[in-house]
Amino acid sequence: MEKIHTTCVYCGCGCGLFLHVEGGKVVGVSPSSSHPMSQGRLCIKGWLGAEFVNHPDRLKTPLVRRGERLLKAGWEEALSTITTKFKEIRDSHGPDSLGILTSAKGTNEENYLLMKLARAGLGTNNVDHVARLCHAPTLAGLSYSFGSGAMTNPISSLAKSDAILIVGSNTTEQHPLVAFHILRGKARGAKIIVVDPRITQIADLADIRLSPRPGTDIAWINCFLNLLIQEGLMDEDFISKRTTGFDEVREAVSKYTPKAVEEITGIPAQRLTEAAIAYGSADRAAIVYAMGITQHTTGTDNVQALANLALATGNVGREGTGVYPLRGHQNVQGACDMGALPDLYSGYQRVAQARQKFEQAWLKPLPEKTGLTALEMMAAAEEGNVKGLLVVGENPMISYPDTKKIKQALLSLEFLAVCDIFPTETTELADVVLPAASFAEKDGTFTSTERRVQLVRRALPPCGECRPEWEIISDLLSRFDVPTDYTSPADVMEEIASVTPIYGGVIYDRLGTDGLQWPCPSRDHPGTGILHAEKFSIGLAKFRSVEHREPIESTDEHYPLLLTTGRSLYHFHTGTMTRRTSLLDREIPGPYVEMNPEDAKKLGVRSDQKVVVESRRGQLCMDAKLTTDVPKGTLFVPFHFNEACANVLTGQAVDPQSKIPELKVTAARVRRAD
Amino acid sequence: MNEYIPMQAEIVDIDVESPNTYLISLKLLDDMDFGYTPGQFVMVSVMGLGECPISITSTPTRHMLQLCIRRAGRITNGIMDSRIGDVLGIRGPYGNGFPLNEMKKDILIAGGGSGFATLRSLINYIVDRRIEFGKVAVAYGARTRQDLYFMQEYKGWQQAGIDVGITVDIGDESWKGNIGLVTSLMDKFEIYGGSAAICGPPVMINAVAAKLMKEKSFDHSDIYVSMERHMKCGVGKCEHCMIGPYHACQEGPVFTYDKVKTVL
Amino acid sequence: MKALLPRDKLLPFLTEMSHKLEVVAPVLANEEEVFCTWTGQPLAFDENPLNPPTEFLIPHRETLFRYVQESGRYTFEEEPQKSRLVLGIRPCDLRAVAVLDRIFGAYPRDSHYLHRRRSTLIAAMNCTRPKESCLCAHLGSGPEAKDEYDLLITEIGSGYLVEAGSPAGILMLSDHSEFFLNATEAQLMEKDQLMKQAEEVVKSHSDVSLQKMRDTIKMADWESLGRECLSCGGCTFICPVCHCFNIVDLGVPDGERVRCKDTCILSGFSRMTSGTNPRRTQGERMHNWYLDKFEYIPQKTGLPGCVGCGRCGRVCLAEIDRWKLEAVR
Repeated sequence: MEKIHTTCVYCGCGCGLFLHVEGGKVVGVSPSSSHPMSQGRLCIKGWLGAEFVNHPDRLKTPLVRRGERLLKAGWEEALSTITTKFKEIRDSHGPDSLGILTSAKGTNEENYLLMKLARAGLGTNNVDHVARLCHAPTLAGLSYSFGSGAMTNPISSLAKSDAILIVGSNTTEQHPLVAFHILRGKARGAKIIVVDPRITQIADLADIRLSPRPGTDIAWINCFLNLLIQEGLMDEDFISKRTTGFDEVREAVSKYTPKAVEEITGIPAQRLTEAAIAYGSADRAAIVYAMGITQHTTGTDNVQALANLALATGNVGREGTGVYPLRGHQNVQGACDMGALPDLYSGYQRVAQARQKFEQAWLKPLPEKTGLTALEMMAAAEEGNVKGLLVVGENPMISYPDTKKIKQALLSLEFLAVCDIFPTETTELADVVLPAASFAEKDGTFTSTERRVQLVRRALPPCGECRPEWEIISDLLSRFDVPTDYTSPADVMEEIASVTPIYGGVIYDRLGTDGLQWPCPSRDHPGTGILHAEKFSIGLAKFRSVEHREPIESTDEHYPLLLTTGRSLYHFHTGTMTRRTSLLDREIPGPYVEMNPEDAKKLGVRSDQKVVVESRRGQLCMDAKLTTDVPKGTLFVPFHFNEACANVLTGQAVDPQSKIPELKVTAARVRRAD
Repeated sequence: MNEYIPMQAEIVDIDVESPNTYLISLKLLDDMDFGYTPGQFVMVSVMGLGECPISITSTPTRHMLQLCIRRAGRITNGIMDSRIGDVLGIRGPYGNGFPLNEMKKDILIAGGGSGFATLRSLINYIVDRRIEFGKVAVAYGARTRQDLYFMQEYKGWQQAGIDVGITVDIGDESWKGNIGLVTSLMDKFEIYGGSAAICGPPVMINAVAAKLMKEKSFDHSDIYVSMERHMKCGVGKCEHCMIGPYHACQEGPVFTYDKVKTVL
Repeated sequence: MKALLPRDKLLPFLTEMSHKLEVVAPVLANEEEVFCTWTGQPLAFDENPLNPPTEFLIPHRETLFRYVQESGRYTFEEEPQKSRLVLGIRPCDLRAVAVLDRIFGAYPRDSHYLHRRRSTLIAAMNCTRPKESCLCAHLGSGPEAKDEYDLLITEIGSGYLVEAGSPAGILMLSDHSEFFLNATEAQLMEKDQLMKQAEEVVKSHSDVSLQKMRDTIKMADWESLGRECLSCGGCTFICPVCHCFNIVDLGVPDGERVRCKDTCILSGFSRMTSGTNPRRTQGERMHNWYLDKFEYIPQKTGLPGCVGCGRCGRVCLAEIDRWKLEAVR
């Protein structure tokens, strides 16, 4: 038996673990006790994290479409088909009729090569990935305000906080290791304030719990600011020395009184005051947030509101303070860092400004026009403007909003190539399917939500005819006349380091046991734990006043309930890996909707009864679970189950700044299925 | 010898007991011998889907091995989708079965819902060895008439000198029999201080046991309950079926009432 | 039979053994001690690896048999077992093996486990430097080996004192006598002295005993503990005595029936198809785990179900004090 140290493939925490390999299979997992963040711990998904690797459903050969069927093919046929079709489409309709959706589960090297393929190979900036559905507002909001859209402190810094404000994050279920450090802080005496419409486990363990109406976060955050200004709990020194624009915010929040905000949000005025003072009077206060803040049409403004709060109280740049956006996938941070985005190259260098630098590095002319975001590519596909798409390690049929429109979009394409480890609803629609190696079968790096670049190590050879994506994309790059001579992912990282200042000092030899937290600009730089400690990269941090806006989607007498979507501890996103893990599948085998018992009673619905949940866009059948954890008038549906895909119900209203869809607010109704 | 490798049995007959319940008759392949006692169970395999525990519903005094399968989950669905001639995996017999040597001669059998399938094995055993037993009565209830199992056998039991009481929760125009709880059938049985065999939902078990102890002078150690638990190995190793310190697949599934009343 | 293995003879001895069977030993991976197949790397005896060596007897995942469908019936194929020498099993983990032997050896026997067990030679290693979290002496499982072994190694000044504990152990020493010297009286006394010191160190750690734990279990507020549990399953996956397993079929129509580690901490463990769950709350499930270790396993096997290795505390995501059982937060 061999034990290979690597990084977990599920969430953004980035836990260290050992894969146990015997007889050519991964037979077990154990935690790494010396890992600086996970310290010998794993969540249930991590402990079971390698079971899916050897599942019989793994895609093992390339597949090529013949009419209704997908038939086995060789790599040469598959890749040359993609090349020929893409070149045809490009020659007839221009490079912007193509697009690439990269994988937030792929390595940094793979994401870098994919965006290089799009730009240098295909000639388009139409490259994006699922950060569009999760933390695009963080990129837009925190980049503007702080100069960087990343988590400001290492996760372990939370254990040193005196107050932690957790907003829209079901932390113990989605980021268990972040919860681990939060609870360490609590054991030291930190006050835990949780803001969530539902009573999740972290909310149950909190000292103060606020339950706002979904989509009203700017109101209560501005109210916090208002209260703290009145109580004199601002950090005037920090504001004057390190920020600009506060006066505008001071003015704007003055009307957000507790009484007014109680009207808007439903949070009792006294609770608002209690929570605000708890955050504001702490010496070191931290803000942790996730999808409950970002997945709204006011997502960027929501993030800005939190940034305003942190800046006004001087809670940026010190141990135990900071702003912690919790990234979902294990490498969505890396995918953003690598520039798999329509307007940015790697290292957040703007296409508009850095184009020449990359043209020189890649020895190819590069497109100027900012590309389309993921949902824009879908809309363009429907309209016939995008005709060819390469989708890598992504399942838009289940994870993108308004499934009906997504299906129409994908079917409208002239050519769809999909690369994945398992067959999905998206591979079913493809013209060519490429089988990818899993995280246990390739080398590379992942960057966790705390900016930690870590090695993922190959523990066994790829199954069947699978190939690691970095090899596949290198192959495609040369077919599109982009010179490549990478012999390993380490070579790719060398190139990345040469063009990406924040990764400047990242080489495999240095990643050893602890990885490196960027910015790490040079080979002798030790990496950066806490950001913005001395100064912000933009000089002074920027305040921006934001106002409450109602969600686009609203309830009415036909759709009187508010549906919010989310996740469960036991499954990960579209369930392709966790539903093939026996203990996780057994734990939660199928779709369900959480309803408040009073709402259920009015509709004559009993626990575990089958119900139909309908929105303006579609309907789904699933089991009803009655619980007082969900407030009256609200429904909760996890999006893990393809047979009752929550996105059949959700809409495509987006935040104008970041283009993230409003996945957390959908008007719905429920009736019994019988 | 690998205890986890099943024997194979061919489905030779399928009887429809109710809309979602089949009575399946099996013949073990390769002339394998299969001796068992009433109350034991087998682990049934549908290769590719998995294994689950099913009580043996036939009596060892007759030739055919029979199982009563109700659609409940993935594996039972897989069994229900099988046809005559298909092969299932069988491991067992497992469990302790009813302790016939220790039980008294007078026996009251009470079943509720699908649990009655377990008791049929004991009932038909008693029919075949009638002289070994004294007064015997059966009280059985299901939700509706459609849910009643083995209706064609009740007359045979009565002819064998067994008192049979049947009830449903919800009647319809065609139903001329009792409507009400299983306990309501017990008043007319003249059995006192005997042994009881009960299988059904916990509420029913508790009600029947209470009535037996209060009104029929049964001792709680003479009341035998067949317990249901999630099982995987059937041989007391996987620990899924533990009831306190006992394994339902080893020291059970038949337990005396005193041992299990705190977990019902 | 006792002998001294000089320090410089350990690797050559293992190399010789590795010609005949797979040698599993503790080595460093990512600067941490782990048990894996020895291929000549330096050995690491400072700390007992976090993942216990019982995984070589109760694998996280093993194929029970393969099934192949042909004209309506199935043929079943088993995989061969290989012979192993596991070096460096500490007394606590050795006690765990003894418990597992009694559970899996009890009728009806689990021939898979027993086949593996019989194919495994155990060269246990006494602990001369116990950790803070070690409580073996309180539960009678260490720091000196108390249970069956083939060889027992104690590191002393001049090398490794090796004692044979079974016919197979005696054979190992006599077949490879070129590596061993006679053990002197002084060396035996040195070993006894080291073990006495180690026992005193462990006894000075927090006070725990079977009876104390039984009392603590009765008094604990299980529902509060359940509220804090983050359902990671770590305690059950890392415990050397835990052996619960699930059986799944992978592949239709041909495939394999696989046995893999399970955890009683999940609600699906005891939940029946009808949805009824005899252990519905997290608190009830935690309580059941403790009862199994301190009441049921002792009843069944005569040995405590906890060996005092302290691993559960090192992996607990909620940082619950596993001995005091007090809700921390």
